[in-house]
Amino acid sequence: MAAGPLSPLHLLQFAALSALVGGLAAIERKGALQLMLSRPLVLAPLLGWALGDARSGLMLGVPLELLFLGGVNLGGSIPENETLLAGALTAALVPAGLIGGRGVDPALAALGLALFYPLAVVGRRLERAAELRNGALLETVLARVQGGDPNAVELNLRGLWLPFASAAAICAACALASPLLAAVRGACGPRVVLGLEGAWHAVWALAVACAIRAIRDPRAPAIAAAIAFVALGAGALFGSLR
Amino acid sequence: MMAAAGRPTEGSAAARRDRRDPIASGRLPATTLARVFLRSFFLQAAWNPRGMQNLGFAHAMAPALAAIYPDPRARARATARHLEFFNCHPYLAAGILGAAVRLEEQVAHGEIAEERVSALKQVLAPPFAALGDGFFWLALRPAAALLAAATAPALGLWSLFVFLGIYNTVHLGARVWLFAEGYRRGEGIVAAVAHAHVPWATALLKLSGAALAGILAARSLLVALAPPQAGAPLRLGHAALVAATIVGMTAILPRLRFAAALYLSLALGLAIGSGFF
Repeated sequence: MAAGPLSPLHLLQFAALSALVGGLAAIERKGALQLMLSRPLVLAPLLGWALGDARSGLMLGVPLELLFLGGVNLGGSIPENETLLAGALTAALVPAGLIGGRGVDPALAALGLALFYPLAVVGRRLERAAELRNGALLETVLARVQGGDPNAVELNLRGLWLPFASAAAICAACALASPLLAAVRGACGPRVVLGLEGAWHAVWALAVACAIRAIRDPRAPAIAAAIAFVALGAGALFGSLR
Repeated sequence: MMAAAGRPTEGSAAARRDRRDPIASGRLPATTLARVFLRSFFLQAAWNPRGMQNLGFAHAMAPALAAIYPDPRARARATARHLEFFNCHPYLAAGILGAAVRLEEQVAHGEIAEERVSALKQVLAPPFAALGDGFFWLALRPAAALLAAATAPALGLWSLFVFLGIYNTVHLGARVWLFAEGYRRGEGIVAAVAHAHVPWATALLKLSGAALAGILAARSLLVALAPPQAGAPLRLGHAALVAATIVGMTAILPRLRFAAALYLSLALGLAIGSGFF
């Protein structure tokens, strides 16, 4: 992987790609299709591929998927926005990894997650704002239908604009901020890097715990523990035989 | 409102005319039904706190209503029926959508009262929502994602296709089946869904998900334990951190906020990894 600063044109291309993919993912998440293309497990490698490093995207996407596996949009409840976080994190980290020449390593991933996690909360607020705007859209439609215009229901698709535009803007901004992130990662000394690697292990552990909770079955922790012991035993036996 | 048409004999001029007229024949063209089905993928485009999926439902019904009610005033009245509050699981709503199209045809024929359409939606939406949330959000998606996560080290990027393939085969198959059964059976969609063994499949998927989470827990421990370079000592501190985090967070996560859990884990990992402890 060649290290070095990205040209402004290259960075703008990355920002445009991030905006397009992030914006489309934002509407796929709830408003359209729901084929799970916007889940972190899919979005991060997909955006990573668009930016030139799909493997780094996969490295980010798997633990993010597990961390947010239990976030479910039930009725009026709004979970944290895992799609915005995955899009923004990938848009910032993959170019930063390219600039640093190491790709996205555990230290950069942990640093990025610590810095960008609040975007998941911002995403939830944006979703609430979009819902309120849709409420105003509904009033318009109701008035027109009562006035004898059944075609007013076509305004339904206008509800997709705000999620698209807000996510696209945030993902583009994150891509533009990637040189800054690369500089911060480059300034980390060896001891800090070791610490950040430890932090990434802890993120994985939290992700597994979140996945066990996401199953929402009282037997899940016991089953997971039993299988983990069996897998560790099998791994130890296999290792000693080799 | 249209009056019911008599049944013409097969091959007669009336039968040929009826094939072109959805109201007279009692069946909408396949293209119209396909348009309704495709629009069901945008059910939540304008989700709002007051009517929830009502605008999306009315938008999906629009092609069918345009075929059933050529008169704009009658169509506007029918459209208003579908702007009533509606909230269901977005996938299982396809069954209600198909049934609503069938019932609208019957309303247009004068076979049933228009209140039956609203009643069907109000009665079916809550149980279908509970069934869909339990199966798709809380069982199928976690199980498919955990399988993809567990196979990612071996399959790499192909693990995405494992996730999308498993999930969408079931999801899209269910949507098509529900819509078709809803249109074929009308209110009888309830019996079709009742025989679909959903609770049994949900329980099986949850158990599979728990087992896969166990495999991921073991893998996380082994990865943390492995030395960064050949010949270096095992990282016992990292492995202990991972084991303690998995056990501790599984126990306290519902009570501890996610943000606190994340930053606590990051801080502990940073401290142990940098040799602060």
